[in-house]
Amino acid sequence: MAQITDKTKDEVKEVVFDFFAEECEMEIDEISEDSNIISDLDGDSLMFLELIEIFKKKYNLNIELKTIGKYAVKNPVQTIGELIDMQLLIIEHENNILEIE
Amino acid sequence: MINKTAFIFPAFITEFTRNEIEFLDKNSTDFNDYLHKASVALNIDLPEFSYNTDVYKTDELNSQLLAYLLSCAFSDILQKKGIIPDLIAGYSMGIYASLYAAKSITIEDGAKLIFSAYNLVNNLTGTRIYGMGAIIGLSTKDVGNLIQDSAPDLEIININNEHSLVIAGKKDDVLLVLAKAKEEGAFSAAELTVDTPYHSKYLLKYSDRFENLVNSFSIKEAVIPVVSTYNQRIFTQVSDVKKELIFNLTRKINWYKTMQKLIENNVNEIYECGAGKDLKKISRFIEGDYKMKSIYKI
Repeated sequence: MAQITDKTKDEVKEVVFDFFAEECEMEIDEISEDSNIISDLDGDSLMFLELIEIFKKKYNLNIELKTIGKYAVKNPVQTIGELIDMQLLIIEHENNILEIE
Repeated sequence: MINKTAFIFPAFITEFTRNEIEFLDKNSTDFNDYLHKASVALNIDLPEFSYNTDVYKTDELNSQLLAYLLSCAFSDILQKKGIIPDLIAGYSMGIYASLYAAKSITIEDGAKLIFSAYNLVNNLTGTRIYGMGAIIGLSTKDVGNLIQDSAPDLEIININNEHSLVIAGKKDDVLLVLAKAKEEGAFSAAELTVDTPYHSKYLLKYSDRFENLVNSFSIKEAVIPVVSTYNQRIFTQVSDVKKELIFNLTRKINWYKTMQKLIENNVNEIYECGAGKDLKKISRFIEGDYKMKSIYKI
């Protein structure tokens, strides 16, 4: 189980904001933690999946997409803030994420 | 490295970007002209297009025709601006607009082919017992196992990318496998709003009749080479165009391999010629040295 530091939190937030700014062709300051991923940013499942892949490589995570998918179906996220929190949980718990419920 | 450009054409309109009408206006394109040409060719009355025109949302044929005509209009705009593709590919029913852009068929004949194909399979579509679904987040092997265990008649009829694929068959089977896919950990498993199981074995029986129909059209050699979504061959010859039309309707396709073929052929700028941005979305997990260019920024 990885230790989540303030540095990790900042890194994850930065990656998520940069990712959505680029994908949605928006300025970073147009996005906030309250932004709704679907209605405000036209986000989709493949974007979520791509972010997971980015963090999987960045932190060398031992995760199976199916496991994350099962968690995500039970714990859907709506806002950028919630998405950042979920990514932190994935980094912290990796494939054991289903056990935290 | 030689820089090459490709146009790719979507099948349906899942969601408008809502830049479409502005794009047509900005480029002094009267979309009513396109609707009029198709209406005359088909002897029907396609109403004026707005984002909320019901007839384009609820009717499978009308929505196909709208997607086709918008794709044709967008391709015309790009080509008039001097953006001429080196290669072309059409996703599923996007084949008709792709052949129009490649100058193999006229806009009227494209509409007639869509109309003919739709009517040909209508006794299948009309039963409302068939359907399609899209699954994101499971591997082809995982979905294959789900199908084998719960609905062996269902088929994976297209692979969009490493994490996204399309299934087709009887609607009950589609819904069953979509539900099981969610249980299995799919990020998304959704029914598509079509009643025709395109590219599935259920359409194979229409091959001969569709071939006869295709042969009744005046099809020309493609001026711009087209990549087959069926076997990824690059073709221009009339006989290959005809084969592709038939295979595209009645056989499985593979969009992932089609995009890889474009990339292998040094395509590094790809324009999605159509409403919405579905093809841009599914390009996310298709790796390569290329950029999906927004037509709205040209």
